[in-house]
Amino acid sequence: MIKTTSLPLGRISLLLAILVWLALVLVDLIRIFGMINNLDSGISEEVTWILEILFFFFVYLVYRHVFWKTRQADFLTLIWRGVSTGLFAAGAGLLTELIYLAFGESKLGTDPFLNNIFYHINFAWTSAFLISTALLWKHLILYQKNTQVVKQWKVFELSMLGALFFVFFNHNNFDYSFLFGLVILLVISILLAVNLKWIPYLNFKEKWKTLLFLFLILLSSGILFYRVLSYGNEAKLQINLTDNLFIMALFGFVFAYGLFSFLVTLFNLPTSSVFEQKLTEAINFQKLSQSIQPEENEEQVLDILLDSCMSASYSDCAWIELNPKEQIQIKNPLRLVDQATQTTLASLIPQENQSWIPGAATEQTQTVRLNHPSYKSALLVPLLVNKFILARIVLIKEVKEGFNKEMMNIIGTFARQACISVENHRLLSQAIANERYQEELKIAQRVQKALLPLKLDHPDSFQICAYSNTADEVGGDYYDTYQVDANHFVIIMGDVSGKGTSAAFHMAQMKGVFQSLIQLGLQPAEFMKKANAALSKCLERNHFITASIFEIDTLTQSFRHARAGHIPTLWYRAQEKTAAYISIEGLGLGIVRNQTYQNHVHEKTFDYQQGDLLVLLTDGILEGRNEQGELFGYDRLKKLVEEHHHLSPPALQQVLIDSLHQFVGGDGMIDDDYSLLVVKFTQPD
Amino acid sequence: MLRIEKIKEENKDILRLIGEVDASNSVLLDQSIQEVVQQGASFLLIDGKELGYISSAGLGVFMSYLDDFSERGIRFAIFGLNDQVGEVFKILGLDRLISIVPDKSTAIASQHES
Repeated sequence: MIKTTSLPLGRISLLLAILVWLALVLVDLIRIFGMINNLDSGISEEVTWILEILFFFFVYLVYRHVFWKTRQADFLTLIWRGVSTGLFAAGAGLLTELIYLAFGESKLGTDPFLNNIFYHINFAWTSAFLISTALLWKHLILYQKNTQVVKQWKVFELSMLGALFFVFFNHNNFDYSFLFGLVILLVISILLAVNLKWIPYLNFKEKWKTLLFLFLILLSSGILFYRVLSYGNEAKLQINLTDNLFIMALFGFVFAYGLFSFLVTLFNLPTSSVFEQKLTEAINFQKLSQSIQPEENEEQVLDILLDSCMSASYSDCAWIELNPKEQIQIKNPLRLVDQATQTTLASLIPQENQSWIPGAATEQTQTVRLNHPSYKSALLVPLLVNKFILARIVLIKEVKEGFNKEMMNIIGTFARQACISVENHRLLSQAIANERYQEELKIAQRVQKALLPLKLDHPDSFQICAYSNTADEVGGDYYDTYQVDANHFVIIMGDVSGKGTSAAFHMAQMKGVFQSLIQLGLQPAEFMKKANAALSKCLERNHFITASIFEIDTLTQSFRHARAGHIPTLWYRAQEKTAAYISIEGLGLGIVRNQTYQNHVHEKTFDYQQGDLLVLLTDGILEGRNEQGELFGYDRLKKLVEEHHHLSPPALQQVLIDSLHQFVGGDGMIDDDYSLLVVKFTQPD
Repeated sequence: MLRIEKIKEENKDILRLIGEVDASNSVLLDQSIQEVVQQGASFLLIDGKELGYISSAGLGVFMSYLDDFSERGIRFAIFGLNDQVGEVFKILGLDRLISIVPDKSTAIASQHES
């Protein structure tokens, strides 16, 4: 389209059309004057034709501009414009006829010049009506256009352009070539006239209005056509502008499409309610399929669903029953029915159909006959979310067998869509809640990581490193070190029974207990007794903690050791080139919660040598399983340490962890927290 | 996977543990012992011949009933544990608190001793 918005294109076209028309009138009057007086006016008929074509062209431009400006208007407004032009043109024609009737055979009545002026006025209005209506039809035909329709329309337009210039070839004679051209154009018009896709979009009332408007257009074009024909037959006219293929074809097109539209609209009237219904259903469906917005809730979805189901099935009343296990409440579960009637009707539905237990009978949409004076049939629509009957919609009709397959289908679709919406809503809420828990766990994880020491206290005489991994976000393994004085260092490793969050809390308690008791300078066995007493007050009845404690004296090159139910520590002795688990009796902490615990814990002192290794561990390492279900076990660990005893603690630790992962493999599992602490005595103090 | 079979023999209640006890199913073991205790058992035997693995959570269950057993005067013994599982009890020190014996007859014999 032309985008020169600065130029008032419509007005210029209008002005030009009027000027051309005036020129046409002038030229024709001169020609008639010449004819009457047998003078050569010096103006050939081609001038008239050229002016006529120019006139058509400018009128076309005027209306095209008008349509461009109002292209978003609705069908009725557009059709009304055609009607008004038509009525005006037809009115002008009839008025002319009346005037001539009044003139009778008077001098004025036979005056060829006056007659011609009237003729030109009528010609102008007829052209305007035809061109504007043709453009209106174009708009309607190309509503919901596809390539084929656009192509057809282009062919039609080109043919009409040809018809415009046909006059030069045919010299306004009504011969076979004229007829032939007319037939072709009419055939194209009829082919185009089947494009009536705009009609179903009118509602019932609009269809009636459209019928009226179309009738008026047909009437106007009929009157105008009749007048054109009668003019053509009158001998008194020497100049004929209207026996023109373009005008005739336009008449044909306007009339054909008008008639088709009229008939199709008429026959569409009885079914228009169905189309409207389908449109409402589509809108309802869209409402239901929109995921529930945060500010909305499930109740609103069920509310929309109930209304949609009612309108889709033309139900006389309906209600929604919620599963008693559901939390949600519906403000108004009844539709067009009072509580008493609802209770009566509900009692008429067989109990097995009303059960909330999911099953073959209750999961399906089902029809029920009612033995009630006014209500005869019911449709039960269960709403299934996650194999759980969330609610049930009961639709009631006054007629017997009032629910057909179509209704049940669409209602089923509604119900499924609503259930999906509800399910999505719930999943989303769950996801948000889960997200929050995950965040909390991450914080817990960070806090717990901080409970394990970053830096392990040790002198130059031994190296130490530790590693801990949890099965879940947080775990129950613990290790720590403490420097008592220049030559005394304490190392502890602990393991809370179980894993996960509860273990993590107990682990935190253990750290508190360890850090407090270690300040007292207790011997290992004494430490365990006090720790047992303290932890007995903190631990749940079925929880316990195992621990190993070492007090290393670098001066005497010895360590004092006590074990409270913990996995024995592996001791590699460089002199003997073998490793062995230190066996010492000792009961886990929190198992015996009284004074008798002191009978269950012992301590021993061992002398170590340069190159000796201590490997403290928790059971998670030993209980790592491979695909065959074998445990990693004591022996495998012992052999690995013997084999790699020359490595530094971090390197040895890495070897052990890698070996464990390799052993467990991709499909195996380490379903427990596991920790490792390696000490290597490197040089005498 | 854990399956618990309850067998009643004269004055003895025997719980046969088949499979593995871990954190996920230790509740089952707890429930079974709870029931037996509430039914007024006087001698509870755990048949561990087919117990493949026990985690600390499982040990915690036994541990939590030790006081209960002594208060109510219930005799308690575990028999038939394989080496691996027996080792777990031993390391924790539970073998000092619970009578862990090789087979059922030893368990019954030890009852007569006491």
